[in-house]
Amino acid sequence: MKAIRTKGLSKRYWFYKKEAGLKGSLKGLFRGEKVFVEAVRGIDLEVEVGERIGFIGPNGAGKTTSLKIFSGILYPTSGELEVLGYLPYKREKRFLSQITFLSGQRNQLFWDLPAKEYFNFCREVYHIPEGEFKKNLKRLVELAEIEDILNVPQRKLSFGQRKRCELVAGMLHDPKLIFLDEPTNALDLINARKVREFIKEKAGEGRSTILLTSHNMTDIENVCDRVVIINRGKIVYDGKIGDLYRLNGFKRKVRVVFNGVWDREGVEKLGRVLSFNGQEVFMEVASEEIKRVTTELITHFPIQDIKIEDPPLETIIESIYKKEAEELHLS
Amino acid sequence: MGYLKLLWLFIKVGLMRQMAYPPHFFMMIIGKVIRILLLFFFFQAIFLKVDRIGKWSFEQVLLLFATFHMVDFLMSITFQRNLVQSLPRWVQTGELDTRLLLPINHLFLVSFENIDLMDLFSFIPSLVFLGYVLLNLPITLSWLQGFLYIILVLNALIFLYAINLIVATLSFWTTQSYGIGRILDNLFKIGRYPLDIFEGFWRAIFIYFFPLVVIAQIPSQALLKILSLKSVFFAFMVSGVSLIIAIKFWRIGIKNYLSAST
Repeated sequence: MKAIRTKGLSKRYWFYKKEAGLKGSLKGLFRGEKVFVEAVRGIDLEVEVGERIGFIGPNGAGKTTSLKIFSGILYPTSGELEVLGYLPYKREKRFLSQITFLSGQRNQLFWDLPAKEYFNFCREVYHIPEGEFKKNLKRLVELAEIEDILNVPQRKLSFGQRKRCELVAGMLHDPKLIFLDEPTNALDLINARKVREFIKEKAGEGRSTILLTSHNMTDIENVCDRVVIINRGKIVYDGKIGDLYRLNGFKRKVRVVFNGVWDREGVEKLGRVLSFNGQEVFMEVASEEIKRVTTELITHFPIQDIKIEDPPLETIIESIYKKEAEELHLS
Repeated sequence: MGYLKLLWLFIKVGLMRQMAYPPHFFMMIIGKVIRILLLFFFFQAIFLKVDRIGKWSFEQVLLLFATFHMVDFLMSITFQRNLVQSLPRWVQTGELDTRLLLPINHLFLVSFENIDLMDLFSFIPSLVFLGYVLLNLPITLSWLQGFLYIILVLNALIFLYAINLIVATLSFWTTQSYGIGRILDNLFKIGRYPLDIFEGFWRAIFIYFFPLVVIAQIPSQALLKILSLKSVFFAFMVSGVSLIIAIKFWRIGIKNYLSAST
């Protein structure tokens, strides 16, 4: 059984467009312009159990909508969909007991009450046996580092502390499928690190399938082994993170420190030299050439140290978005 | 999990929420008691001027009044705020998402998530008042009448639940249905008066199109021994049909739920 299987999955909705200002609002009362949005356009996706997938794309690309369809919050307009063997939009209790959806931007806890009360609520709702609940709670509370804030009303906590409490609440029932929608969004460095470590630890346990959306590539690189890039409701890339570097002729940077002084001409044949001072060279090499070039460097040069740097993931993804936009412009 | 257990959990959480702010808690109690006292004074003031409303005597109108407010408070303790205020807000802000992800009956959750026991401070005086009215009515009550009265009060609650749910689910299409909720709230209030005050068109409207008679008039008639079998059937049919329509509305509405952007 696949964790997620979709074929031609689409979501279309509409809203009334309103012009700015009081005049626009008045006009909108009677003659609003109906605008249709194709939020998700024919997504084909197969996710194996235990996979950790980064769902990335620019704002409005359809990432969150897709996740909401997968989790059963939204009905799809058309296409096939099966998640953990269920039709999510039927919202069966057995299905909902096996998933969790954590949003970085939406509060899930009882606002006026301490997190502990919400955890107890989760225990009842998910039918978690007492012993298992206590064990899970202890482990998750330690992992999220929220021991000292368990009895503090949520309204008194910082945004980051609340997010960490929500992570704990969402994992208490040991979900098989975890949807994380921008979990580190708007968090300060310390809280973002703690949340990232929490997710990484959960991912490391390997029991759950994880779908993570984030604009922060550190989140993705830390947790995911596969990336799905979505733009304007369509999947534009689906593969391993490592394979992304080989896309679109991306160059990798190689820094070499020689034993002694060396001749520039010898290394110029291997790639574009960005800087050279006799003892150290910094050069750019095509991804598909990297294996040959490093072998040659090791074989023919007295090397003290060699380091290969990948271009930042953000740069690669940005270039994919740009390429998409150009193609759309041309068509 | 048994839904009664869940209901008990909602009651506990609701009380904890109210008690999270002690000054507010005590002010709420005072407010609720003042509210019911003002209602009594208002009614007494009317009867200083008139001694009958239509065919209804002062004592009979008091029974109608007590029944109406008992139903009204029961409604506000349980589902009214959830449906009329919270559900449209959750639809508008997308907060419904988190509720739809919980493995429990979603209609039950959105209907009873916030149980407001503070209204007990209005409900209990209205119950005491009902007892007082019954003692002063020139009739002897049978167990059957009492049983029928309770059944018809529950039936009235089902009718009100259905109407509130229909209005609340409109927010799936209109995003905001608070205005309609307010209109409805004011319309319901008419149900505390004998419908004899209306004639012709309006009387027909409030009996057949928007059957306010179901809320307090028909249950009260059970105690006053002026209830016909036809009225009993009518009351059950109205509630049953309304509930079926309301559940249909909910199912279609939830299918059209669009959440909100994050």
